[in-house]
Amino acid sequence: MSRQAVLTAGGFHAYGHRMQDHDSQGHGFVGEGSQSHYDEGRLPAHMELMYPPHPHNHHTHNHHHHNHNHHPELVPVYHQLLPHQPLQQQPQTQLHKQQQQQHLEQQRRRHHQQQQLQQLQQHPGHIGPRPTAVRMVAADSAYVLPDDELAQLQKLSGDYQPETTGPLVGERQSSAAITAEYANADPVYRAKTAVLPDKYAYFRTCLGDGHCGWRAVAFTYFECLIREANVAKFDTELARLMSLENIFHLTSIPYDMILDFAEDAFDLLRKLADALTTGDANADDLLLQAFNQDNISMAIITYIKFLTSAWVQTHPDDFVGFVTMGDLKTYCSLNIEPSQCEIDYVAVAALTAALIKPAGFGFEIMYLDRSPGEEANVTPFSQPTEQGGLLLPTIRLLYRPGHYDILYKAEDFPVPVQQVPEQAPLRVALANPYHDSFVAAPSNVDLMAMIPGLYPTGLGQRWPSVSYDFDSSPAPQTSQVTTIQPYPSAPEIVAPTPTSHQDFIPVDTSPVVQQAPPSHHPIQLEAPPITLPIQPPPPSASLDRAPLTLERGGPFRPSMYELEHLHALPLQTAIFKNSHYNTAHFMNPDFQPEAWSPEYSSKGKNKSPSQ
Amino acid sequence: MSAGAKKRIMREYGECLADTPPGMKINFDEQNMTKWEVLLDGPDQSYYAGGHFKLEINFPNEYPFKPPVVAFKTKIYHPNVSNDDKGSMCLGLLRPDEWKPPNKVVAVLRLIQTLLIEPNIDDAIEPSIANEYKENRKEFEKSAKDWVKRYAK
Repeated sequence: MSRQAVLTAGGFHAYGHRMQDHDSQGHGFVGEGSQSHYDEGRLPAHMELMYPPHPHNHHTHNHHHHNHNHHPELVPVYHQLLPHQPLQQQPQTQLHKQQQQQHLEQQRRRHHQQQQLQQLQQHPGHIGPRPTAVRMVAADSAYVLPDDELAQLQKLSGDYQPETTGPLVGERQSSAAITAEYANADPVYRAKTAVLPDKYAYFRTCLGDGHCGWRAVAFTYFECLIREANVAKFDTELARLMSLENIFHLTSIPYDMILDFAEDAFDLLRKLADALTTGDANADDLLLQAFNQDNISMAIITYIKFLTSAWVQTHPDDFVGFVTMGDLKTYCSLNIEPSQCEIDYVAVAALTAALIKPAGFGFEIMYLDRSPGEEANVTPFSQPTEQGGLLLPTIRLLYRPGHYDILYKAEDFPVPVQQVPEQAPLRVALANPYHDSFVAAPSNVDLMAMIPGLYPTGLGQRWPSVSYDFDSSPAPQTSQVTTIQPYPSAPEIVAPTPTSHQDFIPVDTSPVVQQAPPSHHPIQLEAPPITLPIQPPPPSASLDRAPLTLERGGPFRPSMYELEHLHALPLQTAIFKNSHYNTAHFMNPDFQPEAWSPEYSSKGKNKSPSQ
Repeated sequence: MSAGAKKRIMREYGECLADTPPGMKINFDEQNMTKWEVLLDGPDQSYYAGGHFKLEINFPNEYPFKPPVVAFKTKIYHPNVSNDDKGSMCLGLLRPDEWKPPNKVVAVLRLIQTLLIEPNIDDAIEPSIANEYKENRKEFEKSAKDWVKRYAK
């Protein structure tokens, strides 16, 4: 094996537990020609450092550190996995040896049930949510434990949480939790986890039930679609996944059976797209709910497993170099398809090619282990595509020997607090038409009121109906009934609006809107000279407003005054004497409709042609 | 049990009805669809010819993501069937790490039929019977046929 090949084989330890198995048995996993596949997988040079030729190195260490007694409440059971405690710190206990033996025997039996092939000591996380050294020791029956260590294990097994606890996929949380988890770990872990939150602000747990890797990839695939927030992309992906039916037909996988599982994935795509479109539901919540429903979660996992298997079998050139034992079909049948088998490197590579890359998403796995270094190593499997100047989302997984969780960078999720300031000005802007009219109108009213005789009070008292009808602006103006002005005076009430709104007054055009309708009325011909210099009405605004007075679309039905006014409108275009000085004119303080008092016309007071 | 699992079981039963493998009869109770009773005839070319074996198939709630559990209710002298009142079977196909969700029960039943013809010695649950089958076929044949007469008629 060339140096390159060794490096590559070392890399395998990172991804595939089964591969470790093969490799440790002396079956060189990587043969001629496999290097190119690694190139595709972008295996970085640091892999050599990460994964020394003896994959069991640190696992044997695992058995030598058990001291959680010191901080049982601070340090999760998970720490048992980590090789970080010197032997002399092991606590003494008084447990009966008999119990210990029973316990170990139980563990062994359980392991036999779980199938020896899987080399469970490599990835105990697949059995329980938080792997314990107990399981690892049990798997390694050749290892003989000192009594005190056994006792410690016994205590641990008492604390051991059943694997059904915890959500299948947890809530997103601060990755500082990971640092805290490793606070008592050995220096390598401490250093690596200390810097972790700087780069990866959040993480999300996946239940270690033997499907966590698959689940993590599947979940983040959907989540990236939500993050991209492009509803059309859901349709595209749905169509693409459905079209992948053809690769199943090229294999012996029965697609009609797979379709049952695929439908759950397709349904979820549709539901999420709907949620994004209608806003009826929070897509993130829907996704989390779906993945925490065991049957949906498992169906989607099963679907992507078989998608992966079909991809491997239909792309033999890409994968045959990785599989030295048997053909690809057998390999998939043993290592990808079974319901109880965790994702391995071949599966990661195939899934990247089948699911993640075509969607344009990035994909990287961060390996947190005891390999020397100050930071956990990141292996990129796929680079995110750039679209519209922005990179599409990247799937980030955290791999700890035997277990996958999900990682996020801070920028993956804009902090809500940052979003609020962005939206706030937007709301103000939308509200402007209303606020501005409220603010500006009072100034109008004041001006008018300051000009004596311009609007005789007696006249104005006839106005309310008219001004009200003319004005189709917002409801608060109803109070203007009490005013003498054709201009909305209700704004006086609203006038004490936040000072920020007053900034808009000088440039505001909406008062014009209020002024425009009166300008059609004879009596208001006098008004423009005063108001215009203050707030010149854009012609468009007044033109728009005029028809609105007739086609009012507001919540109020037409009043009798309004109808009367409409009748009166033709008068406005009649001869000069047809003014408010005419008592027949509805604006005249002595206004008397002729129909009601015909004697007025006989006195010759009313000479309007309309009579 | 989820609706999907029920649908799946119903469909599998429908397929079994439409195309029942020869020498097999499936009793299905709609009230309790997770428990199938299968009557299996000993294949003619096997030591179990003439026998009628009752099998019970139990579908776990997680079906099809977890394998069904198959047990012989009729005693049978066979390396792959436990020699106790459980009559449990140790089939690779039915192990959690080998079971595949698309697998169908009918495939399991067919496999059992072939196992009656040709036991799988390497995967025996009863090592002594397996050993006898290997070392002393005559003795094995005698016991198997004797058990058929005693329990499976």
